[in-house]
Amino acid sequence: MPPVIEIRNLRKSFRGHLGIGSHLAVDDLSLSVQPGEIYGLLGPNGAGKTTTLKMLLGLVRPDAGTVTLFGRPPRDVAARRRLGFLPENPYFYDYLTAVEFLDLYGRLHGLDAGERRGRIDRAIERVGLKGREKTPLRKFSKGMVQRVGLAQAIQHDPELVILDEPMSGLDPVGRREVRDLILTLKAQGKTIFFSSHILQDAEMVCDRVAILFKGKLRAVGRLDDLMSPEAKWVEVTVKGSVPSGIGGERRENPDGSTLLVLPGFDALAPAVAAITAAGGTIAGVWPRRESLEDLFLREIGRAQVEERVS
Amino acid sequence: MRAIAAVALNTFREAIRDRVLYLILAVALAVVGGSRFVAMLTVGSEVKIVKDLGLAAVSIFGLLIAVFVGVSLVSKEIERRTVFTLLAQPVARWQFIAGKYAGLLLVLAANVVLVGGAVLAAVALMGESPLALVPAIVLILVELSVVAAFSVLFSSFTNPILAAVGTVAVYVAGHLSWSFDLLRKRVATAAARTLCDVLHAVLPNLDRLDVKADAVHGVAIPAGTFAAAAAYGAFYAIAVVVLACIVFERREFA
Amino acid sequence: MSGALRAGLLLATAVLGTGLARARLVALDAPSSGSKDLLYLPNGKYLRAASLGQAPLAADLVYFWAIQFYSDYGRADRFRFTEHVFGSVIPELDPRFIDPYWLGALILTTEGGDLEGGLRLLDLGAEKNPREWVFPFLAGWECDHAKEYDRAAAYFDRAARIPDAPAALVRLVAGMRARGGNLREAIAKWEEVLTDPRGDDASHAIAERQVRTLTVRADLQDLEAAVLTFRERRGAPPRRLDELVHAGILTRLPLDPDGKPYRYDPRTGAVTSDASRVLGS
Repeated sequence: MPPVIEIRNLRKSFRGHLGIGSHLAVDDLSLSVQPGEIYGLLGPNGAGKTTTLKMLLGLVRPDAGTVTLFGRPPRDVAARRRLGFLPENPYFYDYLTAVEFLDLYGRLHGLDAGERRGRIDRAIERVGLKGREKTPLRKFSKGMVQRVGLAQAIQHDPELVILDEPMSGLDPVGRREVRDLILTLKAQGKTIFFSSHILQDAEMVCDRVAILFKGKLRAVGRLDDLMSPEAKWVEVTVKGSVPSGIGGERRENPDGSTLLVLPGFDALAPAVAAITAAGGTIAGVWPRRESLEDLFLREIGRAQVEERVS
Repeated sequence: MRAIAAVALNTFREAIRDRVLYLILAVALAVVGGSRFVAMLTVGSEVKIVKDLGLAAVSIFGLLIAVFVGVSLVSKEIERRTVFTLLAQPVARWQFIAGKYAGLLLVLAANVVLVGGAVLAAVALMGESPLALVPAIVLILVELSVVAAFSVLFSSFTNPILAAVGTVAVYVAGHLSWSFDLLRKRVATAAARTLCDVLHAVLPNLDRLDVKADAVHGVAIPAGTFAAAAAYGAFYAIAVVVLACIVFERREFA
Repeated sequence: MSGALRAGLLLATAVLGTGLARARLVALDAPSSGSKDLLYLPNGKYLRAASLGQAPLAADLVYFWAIQFYSDYGRADRFRFTEHVFGSVIPELDPRFIDPYWLGALILTTEGGDLEGGLRLLDLGAEKNPREWVFPFLAGWECDHAKEYDRAAAYFDRAARIPDAPAALVRLVAGMRARGGNLREAIAKWEEVLTDPRGDDASHAIAERQVRTLTVRADLQDLEAAVLTFRERRGAPPRRLDELVHAGILTRLPLDPDGKPYRYDPRTGAVTSDASRVLGS
């Protein structure tokens, strides 16, 4: 199946203030998004995620490289018909009610009046805004604005949904709802491409990720491939003295206990035996797997080292 | 086409939900209503004062709307980033600009009809037939559509303040375009003369759309002149809007 | 002291200060020196450019200002710029604005005693608005008032020739000719009115009476002049009127409008008429 999104050697730099200097926002980025997958574009702020999304939507012209949506250039109207987009920190027309707002966007998508009514109702229901549809948008809280933005992105049943930091500014309940929505969309066969700097959420929903740092692609692939599945280490909290010779790292906790980091499950049993024998108390045991955050920080560390070397 | 209508109606809705528009409209209607009393200051024909104040109200308040609503039309969308979701829609960029302009025209037309209607009523109440004023009012609307085209053009690539300054500058130059003809006779070099000619031809000759003096004095405006003036204004406005579409098409939204 | 009290006190102080300062400014206002105001009234052409398409309104505003200005009789040097304002600035902005021409002319003639200035304004108004009969009409009135009957008649004649001018204007021409002493021309004019099919019964009646009255006066004038001539030549007045014809001073003796001869009293040299329906001859 042809990729829904195909990015090849994309490059964009912006001129600095008053034309002095330039900032390379996206450097030789290549990735492709397959139909039906949830793809996360991850990276810290300033990594080039939003710029990439803008080039995807034709809001910014790349200096080099190509980007296609459904095999067509971003400015192609037919391609945009099949996608829905929610920008970061969205702001919509204050003076419209939710229904009027969705109706406008429905019209822009070429839906006729009857279709619009039905879809608007369903979208409002889906994002949990039922009962608030006649309220003017200027009275909406940030979370509600995010929801109506999502409604606008999905109401016309697009094949591809592009979200820029969809979880930003939401409380944990809101973030959970967005995650659930994304999973529901995937269950309907849609492709979701979203950018985020909140890695825990990405970890929970993404099939594949691309990690961006300072405009460059640092890692890309399936989550399972990038992170090893077995427990990487075990953390043991010990009160009292910890005998030497156990191995692993030790860290002081603020309350005086010691955090012992053991290299694997195998090392757990002898360590517990040694501690108990020395008179210490085991306060807790946590088997830890590398999280996306760990992978992320590792990649960034590597990138910084490379920079220093070159 | 439907997209242009959708954007146009939305623009109209935005404008009429803006309290500033109502303030301008209220002041304009107050001026028209009060003109009857202002006219008492004169020695002689009172209805002339009512007509002059009325036409000036239609023109000046229409200009205020064309500039201040117009210049924020596109720049507000960019500033507030509502433009991102709009341009992600299956709508060509030029349709967006055309829709904005059409919406602004609707607002201007509504204003001209309301305030112009009030002027006609005021004159009729004084016992004179106001029909001679109608061609002048129509041409005021044409003039406003030219000004509105410029405010949309400037709004598509710069911030509201510069756009307002630019639009007002064009309005002033447009009303002084007859002076280029005079200047031409005084300049020394042929290059300067050509420059005067070019400027005179390129800048909108807004004075040609001004038949207020004739209308007030009851002088009939020949149909041919009226048609030519209206056509000039309409085509000029279209040209400027097309230019705005081109500029917007090439814009980046970093 | 509480915040609200402090704010109130500050506000009261500011208001008081404003009031006092304003009172002082008003007290310092110099009595109007008239011409200084007008120094700031620019050339009409510049005003036209500055008005940016609202020239008729600008004309109205200048007119309002001028009305206020000329309502202040205490001003010195009132008439220095009258022609400039009413004859240059306002017409430059709106040449078809009728009222300022005649108001300015009125100010100049009635208050300033300047007939020629007033007539210049009215002439300018007529030039810019050739179809307005009111300008030559008013000019005729001013000349009449100044006892310049020939000029008055010429103006009324001009007014009468403008299409849609009231028919009564011809009568004014006739009247002015009569007052100017051109009785025969006056009679000719009155006969025009009499024979004008558009005239109503009233104007015909007036015309008829005028023709009679003026004919008698003209005849009497001619006869008395002839008597004097005879007297100078012969040293004594004639005994009868037909001697004037024999003496070759008159070609024939006129008869009064009733067809009767004029009466002559040889002792006084006076010529009179019995003609009926002649009032105040």
